[in-house]
Amino acid sequence: MSLTGTSRGGKGGQKFGARRAENNRIYAHPLPIVCPSPSSSAFAPLLCLLFPASARLDNPHCEGVFDPSTRSVWVLTERDATILWRRGFFGKGDLSRSEPSWLARQLNARKAAGKYMTSEEVREKRRQERRQFKLDRAAAIARAAAEAEAAFAEGREAAPAVIPSGATWKPSAPGEPSLPVAPPEDEDDSDNDADKEEEPLDNVEHLQLTLQEAWFLVWNLDCLTVLDPHTNEPMSLQRIWRAFQGVHCIPPDLPVYADRFDNLFLVHYAAYHYYRALGWVVKGGIKFCVDYLLYKRGPVFHHAEFAVVVIPVYEDPADQESSPFNLPNANTFSWTWLSTVNRVNSQVQKTLILTYVTIPAQSRVSPDALSSPACLAHYSVRDVVLRRFIPARMRD
Amino acid sequence: MEKHPSYEVLSSYLPIYPKAAGALFQTYNDLKYAQQWSDLELVELPGCARCGLKGRRPQTDEVLSIVPCSLSESLSTDWIRTTFRELGAPPHVYLAINTEDSSIVYYKISPGIVKPPL
Repeated sequence: MSLTGTSRGGKGGQKFGARRAENNRIYAHPLPIVCPSPSSSAFAPLLCLLFPASARLDNPHCEGVFDPSTRSVWVLTERDATILWRRGFFGKGDLSRSEPSWLARQLNARKAAGKYMTSEEVREKRRQERRQFKLDRAAAIARAAAEAEAAFAEGREAAPAVIPSGATWKPSAPGEPSLPVAPPEDEDDSDNDADKEEEPLDNVEHLQLTLQEAWFLVWNLDCLTVLDPHTNEPMSLQRIWRAFQGVHCIPPDLPVYADRFDNLFLVHYAAYHYYRALGWVVKGGIKFCVDYLLYKRGPVFHHAEFAVVVIPVYEDPADQESSPFNLPNANTFSWTWLSTVNRVNSQVQKTLILTYVTIPAQSRVSPDALSSPACLAHYSVRDVVLRRFIPARMRD
Repeated sequence: MEKHPSYEVLSSYLPIYPKAAGALFQTYNDLKYAQQWSDLELVELPGCARCGLKGRRPQTDEVLSIVPCSLSESLSTDWIRTTFRELGAPPHVYLAINTEDSSIVYYKISPGIVKPPL
């Protein structure tokens, strides 16, 4: 929400148009795998039709390291982190809001008056403005109350109160002119200016992929290699499959954890895969008390329209009783909980979706199925969209 | 994780409370590098099976207390009361809820009712 007025015409409009075009260019590829544009030769497209195997896909072959304690895969190289973020918005910089921008922010801070602002700095500025607005509003309310008291005591009408609202308030001391937001390329160039006077900065940030994102890249797109954290050797698909389920089994290798379909990784992966396969960009939703947020193209384009809560449903209730896991939201929820989550999300103009993931019964499906991801076919996903209906206001 | 510069500082504490190791690591890094807190020190909280953190925000003098936890944990009010006790009864405690994608959400918890500032 911008308190300095959302209507930007003229020069501001040009800035926005250029920003949009820039974003469309940088974030053009929805997935890390890219189909190369057809070559100038007239025969290339024909060849692709006749001999599909010769249609080459540009696979970036990224690398990540598995970290069991944070239950994630870390992408340590800048090249791979940039590719995975820009082609599909996979992962999150662990010291940033979204894309890894920690180094850029530190270098900005070092140059006394930073030329550009990263998204974190924009957020700081917005929060300060909001704080100032709240102070001004509280002072205005106090003044109006005092004036009303004085007027009542004197037996006259109080002067009409002027209380600033979000739409009418302007920051009283504009301070420095608003800085343009950094175009993403600046991250790469700023490294050259790093050691003018102070010692060079090590980039301690990495891109963190959730296990669901990592498995999606490994299994479906084959564009990520996961390394073992101790040996630095690439892990085989089987090992990755078992290791990702194993993070939820503490302590590991207990027989009670073996052959369970209700492993949290599997349940969440079923939902993640469902929405990714439909073309949504799926990110974490903890800021809005939900499991996932769905973006139509990506976080840089527009706010998320949908907030997803994953609700596991056991096909066989006996499995739930025998479960060593305590899956969140697996029990009947209360109306207060539902109202709370819906209210939080409607205040930020998001629609709540309840995604029911049905966990197959141990009695019906053999536990051997768990040795391969083919068992995911046994999970079913249903979604229910929730909107609050107010009969007095919604007449249509 | 071992190659990260923060590991040295945390290495004596991470093996003691392995279940909370990921949350502690992420919270420590966020406070030290992203939020730029100073004078970060670790406080053992044996009643909660983890380490807490104390430090100062940039440009402030007040020492604040942070307790990291992960989204998959279930907490009870008794657990929260234990954190207050073991941190030496600070006026408020920040609960750092860590997620697998490295998002951290901080919740400020005070013992008793607190009037909102504005």
